[in-house]
Amino acid sequence: MLLKPFSGVLNSQARAAGNVDDQRRRLLKAAGLGGALAAVGGGTLLSSPASAMRTSARIVIVGAGAAGIAAANRLDQSLDGAEITVIDRRQRHLYQPGLTMVATGIWKTGKVVDRNDRYMPRAVNWIQDHVAEFDPDANRVVTTGGQVVPYDYLIVTTGLKVDYEAIEGMSPDLIGREGIGCVYDNPEHAERTWRMIDHYTTAGGVGLFTRGPGGIKCAGAPLKIAMLTEDLARRRGTRESLEMIYNSPGDGLFSQPDMDDFLKQEFPSRDIAINWHHRLKGIEPEARRATFATPDGDIRIDYDFIHVVPPMRAPDPLGNSSLAWQDGSFAADGNWMEVDQYSMRHRRYGNVFGAGDCVGTPIGKTAASVKAQVPVAVENLLSVIGDRETVASYDGYTSCPLITGRGRGILVEFDYALNMIPSFPFISPYREHWVPWVMKDRMLLPAYNAMLRGRI
Amino acid sequence: MAFSFFGILAVLLETIRPWLPLIIAVLVIDLALTVWLWARGGRSWSSGRRPALFAGAVIGVAAFFLAPWLTSARFSDLSGLLDWMAVFGGSVGVAVLAAVLLWPLMTILFGANARARG
Repeated sequence: MLLKPFSGVLNSQARAAGNVDDQRRRLLKAAGLGGALAAVGGGTLLSSPASAMRTSARIVIVGAGAAGIAAANRLDQSLDGAEITVIDRRQRHLYQPGLTMVATGIWKTGKVVDRNDRYMPRAVNWIQDHVAEFDPDANRVVTTGGQVVPYDYLIVTTGLKVDYEAIEGMSPDLIGREGIGCVYDNPEHAERTWRMIDHYTTAGGVGLFTRGPGGIKCAGAPLKIAMLTEDLARRRGTRESLEMIYNSPGDGLFSQPDMDDFLKQEFPSRDIAINWHHRLKGIEPEARRATFATPDGDIRIDYDFIHVVPPMRAPDPLGNSSLAWQDGSFAADGNWMEVDQYSMRHRRYGNVFGAGDCVGTPIGKTAASVKAQVPVAVENLLSVIGDRETVASYDGYTSCPLITGRGRGILVEFDYALNMIPSFPFISPYREHWVPWVMKDRMLLPAYNAMLRGRI
Repeated sequence: MAFSFFGILAVLLETIRPWLPLIIAVLVIDLALTVWLWARGGRSWSSGRRPALFAGAVIGVAAFFLAPWLTSARFSDLSGLLDWMAVFGGSVGVAVLAAVLLWPLMTILFGANARARG
């Protein structure tokens, strides 16, 4: 995807690009393997050789989640002289792909909690505040504390907002009470969800498993919670006392058709009933009753345990800004940020890029997507700074280690065309194995940390 | 999504990062024993080989049977050639690593005095 500079940003781009001195490229922060190994225990355990572009560009990254920190490290390794600023109040870094493991009692909370400062490049200016306003026409953002931060280039990696309020009667405070669980957002929610699942798989009763409509973070998580709960009950010998019902808001379980077919056989074979076109609309915690919107009108179902998966959307400052899609499905779904789905560059503001959960792309709200998106966004940003054509392209890669039970899973990787694109050809994406489980349990967190450091 | 050589190395390094001090300590001790044996001379390396191989084999067999349990899984979760090859290959790797690391120690413990024999 080739894009030319946009007129609205020519001034800032020209100013920054004018300082680019390709002739003075030099190896920077390229300790190489030997040097890096000498830095054992430090932040630079391994650095791959990279040539640094000299520039005085002011680059602001909004959000210090997986995408923001990975982008900061990649830019820090690729640029010499740039003024890189990261804006995010959060000091805690959460390994969100591990929340399903916490919520099903397999991992302890501490395994998914880390610190942002362990991964933040030293040269980066970290403003510990949230952005309250995006003003792309003026090339600036404003923090909740009132600080105005101008930029030449902006990378938006805010993550998303779990919209609990969209479900009548629901509040995050309810998670861990009245049989309500929700794996999303933070390890406290996951831990409280585990308490509910632990009790449910002991006491039995009706379990409702839901999935928010539209684009949601890690769309495999609601499925994994259902399957791991079923697996736990089977191991505990209480499976017969559980009536499990998965409520899909549409007519599918998974976007990738082969996996959808697999799950449509797997769930009934494990005696997990499926309700199609059942969107969770409201909840009555005291009565333990949920209301679903269906084509035949609202219906109410009593439950003993419910896994609530609310709809998700872009954080309000982003969703309400002109950076968001102004119309179309991505605007209606969650006010997601408008980007070209291949270049990760904003379609109207050429000095703005996006990555991670906040962007409106057909698929890809996973950490695996971040791994694929960030290098594209950064490489194209470097091309724009260097006044070159943007050629890096994101193919929609996303991945879900679909854990079907403790000890087994399927490593599912696919692209925009929903074609399977396995990283490891010897691991079948169509069959349950132990190896994908080992990868989920032991290897993906290190891979995630390597991604944060900008090394993969 | 393909991983580059440096990418795989980076992931491996992140995997062992929590145990890095322990790994370094073991390697340093092993290296020190090796250097000490070479410098001192007199002991036959070949006499320590068999005990090291035996210990490595025992550890490898233990690794084979413990591998699923160490990953919160059961043998019944293993499915197909991929999983069995992974367990077997991993166990062989553990066995070889254990034998190599234990060789200097076994030479000290069980090694015959080469000069005395000679």
